[in-house]
Amino acid sequence: MSDGHDCQCLIERFWGVIDMIDLKHLSIAYGDTSVVRDVSLHVPEGGSFGLVGESGSGKSTILKAIAGQITNWTGRIRLGEHDLQQGRDPALIRLCQMVFQDPFGSLHPRKTVDTILSEPLTIHGIRDQNNRVLDTLDAVGLARKFRFRLPHQLSGGQRQRVAIARALMLDPPVMLLDEPTSALDVSVQAEVLNLLKALREQRGLTYFLVTHDLPVVSFLCDNLGILRHGELVELATIDQLKQQQFSSEYGQELLSKSY
Amino acid sequence: MSLLTIDNLRISFPTEQGLTEVVKGISFELGRERLGIVGESGSGKSMTGRAILRLIGKPGTVTADRMEFDGIDLAGLSERRMRALRGARISMVMQDPKFSLNPVMRIGDQIGEVLSFHRKMNAAARRKRVMEVLEAVRITDAERVYKLYPHEVSGGMGQRIMIAMMVILEPDLMIADEPTSALDVSVQAQVLDIMDDLVNRTGMGLIIISHDLNMVARYCDRILVMFNGEIVETCAAKDLADAQHPYTQGLLASMPTIDERRTRLPVLDRTLLGGD
Repeated sequence: MSDGHDCQCLIERFWGVIDMIDLKHLSIAYGDTSVVRDVSLHVPEGGSFGLVGESGSGKSTILKAIAGQITNWTGRIRLGEHDLQQGRDPALIRLCQMVFQDPFGSLHPRKTVDTILSEPLTIHGIRDQNNRVLDTLDAVGLARKFRFRLPHQLSGGQRQRVAIARALMLDPPVMLLDEPTSALDVSVQAEVLNLLKALREQRGLTYFLVTHDLPVVSFLCDNLGILRHGELVELATIDQLKQQQFSSEYGQELLSKSY
Repeated sequence: MSLLTIDNLRISFPTEQGLTEVVKGISFELGRERLGIVGESGSGKSMTGRAILRLIGKPGTVTADRMEFDGIDLAGLSERRMRALRGARISMVMQDPKFSLNPVMRIGDQIGEVLSFHRKMNAAARRKRVMEVLEAVRITDAERVYKLYPHEVSGGMGQRIMIAMMVILEPDLMIADEPTSALDVSVQAQVLDIMDDLVNRTGMGLIIISHDLNMVARYCDRILVMFNGEIVETCAAKDLADAQHPYTQGLLASMPTIDERRTRLPVLDRTLLGGD
């Protein structure tokens, strides 16, 4: 496995902190349109939280705010001990990384896997790139022969592994997952879900997953939140999901629609 | 009498390693029913759908012992006659409205284009018919939507517009290639319900091509499972859970469920199945 040294440092720094992700009264508006209203939730260190809702419910917007892609939010976003600043926040990049939905769109088509994976290391001035790239390839279960391939030479599942590897390069304690398997075939989805679950166990990662797929939440998460029209209508445990017992009417409606 | 008969359909493409067969001699019949073709990427399911409409371009080659639609031999038809058939009697709904609608044409004109191609109709009658079909796919403010451009509508509405375009001439057979995989779950159900309703009302045959076993099991009468260019299993939708072929069983097992208790999901071993 990866040397995990940096990861270890970060984890030690946050030791004793109960919540890895802590959102308080988070509201986001685009111009006059309010997209997310007064959302508060927290995810413990090493936890895995699933945020579900329809498109337009604001779930991806929340994810973007945590990732620092949206800066005009109000309220508080806290990652470990770090209070997120409005505007560009360089510390954020080492704290959380994102895996996007579409592995066909999220990898640079003219950069090799090696370039894609070493880029974050170069930017952050991290040495020992060769070993780190090889370690991460091993960690995500990609054969080393793929190292110098271009994305179009890989299958969808392999590309998503590269995207996960890229997110892991800086050893962030938090991973933001935006529908990481919805573009994949079911059997490939199973492989990627298994990988995500194993990585979380091995590295003590904290996951924040955005999806509309309740079975995926059931497999990967401990807790979930249901978002509708920018408001959190319910926070539930995974057991409530498994027993199909949401307390909100909308939660039950989502259950009935999922097959 | 069956609406569509396919016998020993083969599709191949030349590659650097010689001719590669992507569909390896499949046969099936379709009545006025809802048939689901499921399989993963590369299984040949979309190619099969396209071959029925003769949309496989060069350098691909399509051969079949028999390919008959309502008594018409599709393989022997001239391109001109085939064009008259497409859209009017057999239509196809594509996966992603973002890429399948013309971005620089208003929605109403786009739907109406089918009418001006296949039917002689004046502008007023055409407009009226477009309004009707927009309402049939449950677009309530048809007046407004008529004037919009594709980028101004949501994915779910885009897909309903595509369906409207495909059913406006009341075809006998509709082929839907992954009609909902670009959509949200809640919208998915709505789009499928609309298609289901149209099938029930007009009695057209429907082929849904998808990788989503559960969705197909819910909306179809019969299911064909394709793997590696071959049909490995045919069953009634309600009997999917008792599927016999190891590939189908593997697919079913690899899907997480709402009440998921397994710590690892089983992964298909393709080498055991003789795949590549």
